Amino acid sequence: MYGNGMTGAPASRISDFLVPKASFFRWLDSLRESFSVVGPVAEEDRTVFREIASADELHMEYASTMLSPGKVYLYSPREDLFRISFGKDLTIEEPPRSPVQRIIAGIHACDTHAVFYLDRTFLGAFRDPLYENRRSNTMLIALNCSAASRNCFCSSMGAGPFLKAEKGYDMLLTDLEDAYLVEIRTERCRVLFNADATQSADAEVFRRKEEKERSALRTFTKTINTDGLDRALRENPEHPVWGRTADERCLSCANCVMVCPTCFCHDVVDELSMDMKTVRRYREWDACQDARFAEVHGGNFRARRTARLRQFVTHKLDQTHQYGVFGTVGCGRCITWCPTGIDLTEMAKAIQTRKA
Amino acid sequence: MTRPRLGFFKFSCCAGCEFQTFYFQKHPAETLAAFEIVFAKMVLRGGAPEGPFDLALVEGTITEAWQADELKKIRKSSALLFAIGACAVNGGIPALKALAPELEVEGKVYKNLSPIHSIRPHPVDAYIQVDGYIRGCPPGERDLHEALTSVLAQKKPGFLRCAVCVECKLKGNICILTAYGMPCMGPVTNAGCDALCPTCKRPCYSCFGLMKQANAPALAKKFRSLGLSESDIRRKFTLFDADAALFSKADKLNED
Amino acid sequence: MHPLKPAKAVLKNIRQETADVKTYTVQVDGAFSRELSPGQFNMVGYPGVGEAPISFSSLWEDGCIGHTVRSVGAVTAFIDKLAEGDELLLRGPYGKGWPMDIAKGRDLLLVAGGLGLAPLRPVIREVLQSRDSFGTVSLLCGARNEKNLLFTDEYEAWRKKISLFLTVDEAVTGEPWGHSVGLITGLLDRVKPDTAGTCAFVVGPEIMMRFVCRGLMLRGMQPADIFVSLERRMKCGVAQCGHCQHAGFFVCRDGPVFPYAQVTGLMDGML
Ligand SMILES: Cc1cc2nc3c(=O)[nH]c(=O)nc-3n(C[C@H](O)[C@H](O)[C@H](O)COP(=O)(O)OP(=O)(O)OC[C@H]3O[C@@H](n4cnc5c(N)ncnc54)[C@H](O)[C@@H]3O)c2cc1C
Ligand code: SF4
Ligand code: SF4
Ligand code: SF4
Ligand code: SF4
Ligand code: FES
Repeated sequence: MYGNGMTGAPASRISDFLVPKASFFRWLDSLRESFSVVGPVAEEDRTVFREIASADELHMEYASTMLSPGKVYLYSPREDLFRISFGKDLTIEEPPRSPVQRIIAGIHACDTHAVFYLDRTFLGAFRDPLYENRRSNTMLIALNCSAASRNCFCSSMGAGPFLKAEKGYDMLLTDLEDAYLVEIRTERCRVLFNADATQSADAEVFRRKEEKERSALRTFTKTINTDGLDRALRENPEHPVWGRTADERCLSCANCVMVCPTCFCHDVVDELSMDMKTVRRYREWDACQDARFAEVHGGNFRARRTARLRQFVTHKLDQTHQYGVFGTVGCGRCITWCPTGIDLTEMAKAIQTRKA
Repeated sequence: MTRPRLGFFKFSCCAGCEFQTFYFQKHPAETLAAFEIVFAKMVLRGGAPEGPFDLALVEGTITEAWQADELKKIRKSSALLFAIGACAVNGGIPALKALAPELEVEGKVYKNLSPIHSIRPHPVDAYIQVDGYIRGCPPGERDLHEALTSVLAQKKPGFLRCAVCVECKLKGNICILTAYGMPCMGPVTNAGCDALCPTCKRPCYSCFGLMKQANAPALAKKFRSLGLSESDIRRKFTLFDADAALFSKADKLNED
Repeated sequence: MHPLKPAKAVLKNIRQETADVKTYTVQVDGAFSRELSPGQFNMVGYPGVGEAPISFSSLWEDGCIGHTVRSVGAVTAFIDKLAEGDELLLRGPYGKGWPMDIAKGRDLLLVAGGLGLAPLRPVIREVLQSRDSFGTVSLLCGARNEKNLLFTDEYEAWRKKISLFLTVDEAVTGEPWGHSVGLITGLLDRVKPDTAGTCAFVVGPEIMMRFVCRGLMLRGMQPADIFVSLERRMKCGVAQCGHCQHAGFFVCRDGPVFPYAQVTGLMDGML
């Protein structure tokens, strides 16, 4: 399922290189001619993913960003689906597919896994053509993390800090101080790669990579025990931690699910023009923390805040039968950006240890 | 198709909603073309306040007894009636006077109190049933557009009811509450403004009013932890929503 | 093609069923799927108003499909105002319908509460058409009162081939009511399912399904032989918008019809 083959054939030839950073960034800069290159950029005191005008703007040593690049650039916060016109005949037009060829550089391991998760939603039995178009027009240059942030627990979820997947993205970088270990994963990326001063990566380089990984793993402060986790949550839907957290702390503000890189929920909205001649049908991210989300005529299956909070947490830590994987990649964003600091790993722990 | 007959009525407020509707929003010309303006003081001399109306838009807080009577008449002569703007929807700024003894407040404004006949301020739905709320100060473009086009298309309007935070995140704003500790009301405030204030790095003032599922006590607790005093917090929750009598209503909202 | 792109359809016939329910016979573009099964649904709507999931109340008949709709909200109230000859948009078919192959050769018990009779009507039609493929077939049908009964002019034809039991919460018209009064669970004793051989299809408000399913279990039926159809809010119908999610199931794709065993006891549900 990884990547659904969206990123083309696997690289066929030797494809691991040691590349001086300056040389790597020169190469990346050269790609801006034919690609929109998006990467982590320091703005004020935060890092955000946006299109760069020069590789000098990149801040590759960033901690987590508020929004994940995959959710913003492959999915999209708001996007037109159809333009419908009433005239003599009712016509339904799809907006033209974006021809933009994009590179997302420096996407962390967890966020790369989050893209694989979104693939499950948008490239499943029904394929979303807008997502599919962008996914195949986007090259992902993943970056292994050197250190965890305060709320990261990707190591518990098998989604980081180093990316273990072999498919579904185009290139993997490991920071080796003055050089990157560049592992090329797809043929289309190999064809493109012509940085100067590269040398092929030998066993010694991979030994350094392993060392880096071990040191990155030592920086984690947050963990979660996934052993029997889904069952523990399923069997304790009325554990007091749900109601207590919802009543005392949860604001139903939906920041958690908006920043979550795997949350795929959206609304479909019709906007009529004032002259009644056209309709713009678009989708935009929606949130299960909103009371209206599950409302139907005559009832609301998640009218209670407790139920909504539980939906979020169990969708991340239980409900594994949906896609066969956990819904969280352990990026910690929902914890960081919750105004009251609600921490799903703490809630899980309370339930796992049967503490009230 | 005949154009729907529109009446725009103003009670205690700044008339900003009427200006927003007819001058400032993205489609003023289309609005004027799509509706037959029967009564609207800011665009039409005279007019027929007695109606009948297909749509009445009512702005302003009800602060005098005659306004309540007038409002009931408008309701009778209108097929649809929407409250528009923070004043009509939540009480808004004019309702601030409910927070202090009446004579004291009035004495701050008027030298001679004898001709003043004001009553306790209330939003319009304290007196009549309304068909929809176009929230905000000034009213949000999206809900205003939805309201007007829904009337034209003869369908039920779908207004936003989630938190401002949702729109704030859609815009990719760094959260000023979480990142910088600014006391933002966004998490409890009804969306619709496209996160106007947080986008300008100003904490939300809650001009769209508390959303239905707001957990006001939990946000108040958060504000306390940021060092806000009880009176600071009280002011935050009552600036536009004084009529909700702060925590009495907010408490009820805790479990919706 | 975009999976959310709707097709145009024309309202060929509109029949008033009750005060707020109408049945629409709809002619759809030739490209619309020929493979519809009972229990599946369409996303039906109109541009500028939105879309809502609506079950098939009849499958292809004379080049048309049927939808029976109660006016409750934005989309359904708008549809309610349309006239014969008007256009609307729809897309589908979506979801897993009733497991007709499992029911074949067995006794079949159909239990419908309120508008739940609409998604069972294609089942009834299939039973009537190939009556010999099924054992005893009974339909228990409940409504708030006599005025809320759907498809009343079809009952006589149904009765010729299956047993029909009606009940209303209360009789209000003052006309003689020759059937039961009370909750639909009260009818369960009238049918006495042959527990091993019977398969039950239950649809209605979730609280009603809860008590019907429990009632059937108390009478010896196995949860694996009971099927229910769930209602959730839906925006896409194609397992992407997330609105219909129920404890990890996409009701639009994995349902709306589920084996009772699969959905009983789940959080945020009543079953
Ligand atoms: C699989 C499936 C099959 C179905 N089959 C049928 C069928 O055959 N026939 C049928 O009639 N129905 C059917 N339904 C139900 C129907 O889809 C829903 O009733 C749907 O919500 C109607 O859409 P609507 O736009 O008219 O209502 P909505 O506008 O979505 O309103 C529905 C309810 O949501 C709430 N609501 C929505 N907006 C607001 C608001 N702004 N403020 C307050 N409350 C609000 C209200 O409680 C309202 O009653 C089916 C549902 C499913 C899931
Ligand atoms: S961000 Fe926190 S407070 Fe807001 S809805 Fe999520 S868990 Fe609740
Ligand atoms: S947690 Fe909520 S918003 Fe996120 S994917 Fe799950 S249901 Fe959707
Ligand atoms: S800045 Fe305010 S509105 Fe925006 S996400 Fe933060 S709390 Fe919500
Ligand atoms: S952010 Fe708050 S105060 Fe600012 S316009 Fe929106 S609702 Fe009003
Ligand atoms: S209706 Fe969108 S996921 Fe089921």
